[in-house]
Amino acid sequence: MDASLVVRGKEVSLQQRLLSVGILGLLLASAIYLFLYEPDGSNVYPKCPFHALTDLHCPGCGSLRASHQILHGNISAAFGLNPLMVLFTPLLGWVIVSQSSVALRGRPLPALFVPAFWIWVLFAVIMVYWVARNVPVYPFTILAP
Amino acid sequence: MFCQKCGEPNDDNAYKCVRCGEVLPRVGQPSTMPGVRSVPNYLVWAILATLFCCVPFGIAAIVYAAQVNGKLAAGDYAGAVESSRKAKKWCWVAFALGIVVAVINIIIFVVAAGSTETTTTW
Repeated sequence: MDASLVVRGKEVSLQQRLLSVGILGLLLASAIYLFLYEPDGSNVYPKCPFHALTDLHCPGCGSLRASHQILHGNISAAFGLNPLMVLFTPLLGWVIVSQSSVALRGRPLPALFVPAFWIWVLFAVIMVYWVARNVPVYPFTILAP
Repeated sequence: MFCQKCGEPNDDNAYKCVRCGEVLPRVGQPSTMPGVRSVPNYLVWAILATLFCCVPFGIAAIVYAAQVNGKLAAGDYAGAVESSRKAKKWCWVAFALGIVVAVINIIIFVVAAGSTETTTTW
């Protein structure tokens, strides 16, 4: 890989280390809560504001229910609720590793420089996904939660 | 070195401006080298905000993340820093709104405790 595309992490402040500890704690607490309590049909979990206002699905609709399924090992059930979100779940693993690095070592992991073109591709994918989830015809209905 | 934003003189090794907090360009690095300048684009947070937080503000953060890397590749360091600031702002807005909605929901839940009505979650 082109070495110039990897950005080395600089040492961070104590404030940022504490923020990372907070992020990790929040993630752990959310994971425990999500594992224990089923979001479907529960009043405890928040409703999607976009769905509440428009009755349409946003790119994140179904993520809480899908996260609950992932934590219980039901990847296929999670995929049925929000397939794009399941594909991006490894990012959460990366967040845990990188935030642990900041919290424990005071230094972020080397970051990969993603060319702008690929970020625009991702943007286009999410916008298309957003629209496609709301088309009430098979096969688009697979994408809806 | 002088801050590009407010003009305050700063130590040559300073990371941020002591007056306005603007991230300062690092001395001794050519401004046209793509990628080596570590201006954060908050792309990971933007994606997570979009797909897990259910708030479309994450989309705005993704657009600014793309701008950060586009401007870095073009050698526009000051522009990249500006886009970086906006990407960070929209990530915070997305997560803050998500947390506010969650807290409001808990308040409503506590007030209406005992209700058996089912709702659609995220």
